[in-house]
Amino acid sequence: MTTLDNTPAIPTEGALAGLNVLDLMWVVAGPTATRAMADFGATVVRVESANRIETARGIGPYHNNGQGPDHSGLFGNMNINKLGLSLNLGVSEGRDVLLDLIKWCDVLTESFSPRAMRAWGMDYDSLRQIKPELIMLSTCLFGQEGPLSRVAGFGTMGAAIGGYIALAGNPGGSPIGPYSAYTDYLSPRFALPTILAALDHRDRTGEGVYIDQAQAESSLHFMSTALLDYHVNGRVPQLVGNADSDMAPHGCFAASGDDDWVAIAVRDDGDWANLCYAMGLGELICDDRFADLAARQANEDELNGIIVGWTSEHGAIEIEYMLQAFGVPAHAVSNSSAAILDPQLLHRGHFVEMEHPTHGTTTFEAAKGQMSETPPTYRSVAPSIGRDNDLVLRDILGYDDERIAELAIADALT
Amino acid sequence: MLLTPYRVLDLTDQRGMLTGQILADLGADVICIEPPDGSSARSVGPFAGDEPGPDRSLFWWAYARNKRGITCNLDHPDGQALVRQLAAGADFFLESDDPGAMSARELGYHDLSADHSDLIYTSISAFGQTGPKAGYEATDLILMAAGGPLILSGGAGEAPVRVSVPQAWSHASGEAAIAAMIALRARGQIGRGQHVDISAQQSVAAAAMSANLAASIGASETARVAGGMAVGPFTGKLIWEVADGYISLTFLFGSGIGPFSQRLFNWMYDEGECTLEDRDLDWIGLGAEFISGARPLSDWARLMEVVGAFLKKRTRDELFSEAQTRSLLIVPVTTVDEVANFEQFEARDFWREHEMPGWPEPVRFPGPFVKLSDNQIEYRRRAPSLGEHNAEVYAELGLDEDALNDLRERGVI
Repeated sequence: MTTLDNTPAIPTEGALAGLNVLDLMWVVAGPTATRAMADFGATVVRVESANRIETARGIGPYHNNGQGPDHSGLFGNMNINKLGLSLNLGVSEGRDVLLDLIKWCDVLTESFSPRAMRAWGMDYDSLRQIKPELIMLSTCLFGQEGPLSRVAGFGTMGAAIGGYIALAGNPGGSPIGPYSAYTDYLSPRFALPTILAALDHRDRTGEGVYIDQAQAESSLHFMSTALLDYHVNGRVPQLVGNADSDMAPHGCFAASGDDDWVAIAVRDDGDWANLCYAMGLGELICDDRFADLAARQANEDELNGIIVGWTSEHGAIEIEYMLQAFGVPAHAVSNSSAAILDPQLLHRGHFVEMEHPTHGTTTFEAAKGQMSETPPTYRSVAPSIGRDNDLVLRDILGYDDERIAELAIADALT
Repeated sequence: MLLTPYRVLDLTDQRGMLTGQILADLGADVICIEPPDGSSARSVGPFAGDEPGPDRSLFWWAYARNKRGITCNLDHPDGQALVRQLAAGADFFLESDDPGAMSARELGYHDLSADHSDLIYTSISAFGQTGPKAGYEATDLILMAAGGPLILSGGAGEAPVRVSVPQAWSHASGEAAIAAMIALRARGQIGRGQHVDISAQQSVAAAAMSANLAASIGASETARVAGGMAVGPFTGKLIWEVADGYISLTFLFGSGIGPFSQRLFNWMYDEGECTLEDRDLDWIGLGAEFISGARPLSDWARLMEVVGAFLKKRTRDELFSEAQTRSLLIVPVTTVDEVANFEQFEARDFWREHEMPGWPEPVRFPGPFVKLSDNQIEYRRRAPSLGEHNAEVYAELGLDEDALNDLRERGVI
């Protein structure tokens, strides 16, 4: 793998070159959206404060299992290609800088609780007076209005209140839920197309757009069928483990290694026959207990026992190759050690290595979309706090030494 | 609406319909093109009244909203010609067929862009258009396994467990909407469209929250914790059993979450359920005390027990209500029926209704995914019936009723 240079700079090429984004968001949901813009050439100024260390800087995986604000692989992954400005918004001089940046930007994104921007006189209605063409995204768990709009919330809570936690777990057990801050992964898929559509609209009409995103609401579009099943059929999903109404066998089966699992999904009788051949248990094809979907579901425990008897003799990746060769959907349940050897992820260039001032090198995940004409560019690792203050204050805002010194004295740059 | 000037040809099936849905909600004119016997998405359950039928798939109802629908046989040369003609008037082309399938019909990116370089052609597939796994068979579970999120969900030592409502293709479709919109902006810069190639495997990797990077940066694998997550040497418990069910409480230290934990312990102390010493811990700097060894890690387990005992005596409503008063990171773990009746969504007028064919009552759908200052997302059309807009769309190509009848008889539409 080539190790790319780490050179924080204002990008000059890419699909979004010339687009200026002021990013006041943090943790995962917001920074995911602005990273995608940065990857494709937008200039993204990410504002942080050393007075309140961003939560993502404390979440793993950690470089060499170490501790410190620049050790988080999560923060590193969410914030490549952005310019880092440290700004103390608790003092008016800091907010003056913010206002200058708002005048500079095309897109302002913030994920404070709804009180904060209003308290500073920087809500959309105030800002549109000075900048009518502004595109502004306010994103938080519950949105800007409604009785719960002031409730602070992370995506972990979005997963709970949005119904996702109660959709994953084993029958009769406690709800387990998807990993961590699930709605943080979903909400950028709605916020970002909207921002880009708003920009297109602005370019055609000159009109600004305000976007009020309640992450909990956006995320319900990933479970629309369950909501309709309730409204229409009155059904409330129960914890079913990995069982599927249309497929059996269907689940994660223990393979021979340590915490080694293989996912297998049998869609129909053809897959079932192929699985039997692959396992060397062709006689099961004629076994009445497993003759069709209904029979396989009725006898699923017995069936799963037979399959585990076979999978536990082989490694998950070996099983994946064997079953896929027979046309049966299967894949090792990948962890990070498997992912960096996954030939498909390597083919796609999923992992990107770059020089890092603290760690020598770091690795982040590539942009999701592969685009034939305007590929992403990777210019810089995630900023340490205040890394790009000079670049932002001098090159973008045109401040001189005196102005910067005044800001430092006013404690505005911490 | 924001995307009113744009037209989208949506040839996706259940693997990609959310992409066109997002663009349609934002105002684009999205035309879905189905085979004459109906999209396979119409066979995806659950079904209204649990009765399968082309107009009864709740998946179709959910993800064909705001789209018009026409039929066209892509395996018939005349059908392929119709799609090429329609593509000439479109800005976006969306497809989710197996890699190579569209090219085999001469409807691949290069076939269509040759005469129409403006076209933004978006392909959604399980593993990407090329590569050693491009031909793999895939389902939701397989993709969640391949992309990294699945290994992180479940109990330690137990089988990983997925979200029972399929998620993987929605992740891919969301990424496709993002990339297609980036390509629209690029078109303004470079003067032409391009091919966007989305892999569901890479898209679902977002749901691993960067745990996929552990091995690359010298970190330990992220432990699987039922109802929680590992934060370095600490177990961050996220789901807690209370008197009448479960809640989510984010309980940790540090400058982001520590102040919330401080307020939780203030409350516990007010109720006489924690000691003064615990209340007055340095909730911001506590992590450093553990890591330096100044405080034994076993103390973290003890604090979680103290919290757990406090929560267990209280109901979800009591906890959620007090959380709003005291600004705590607590919400109930809700089931789908509770989501559907949640007061905040009602207060924001979130839900929308459509009359659906063959169903007696208006049906309630999740509402606009964002609220806008102007040009709001509108629910202007229910999901189309099979071929519902054949006449009006094909009329644009100059085809009259006789021509359509001829195409119908020959199995083209």
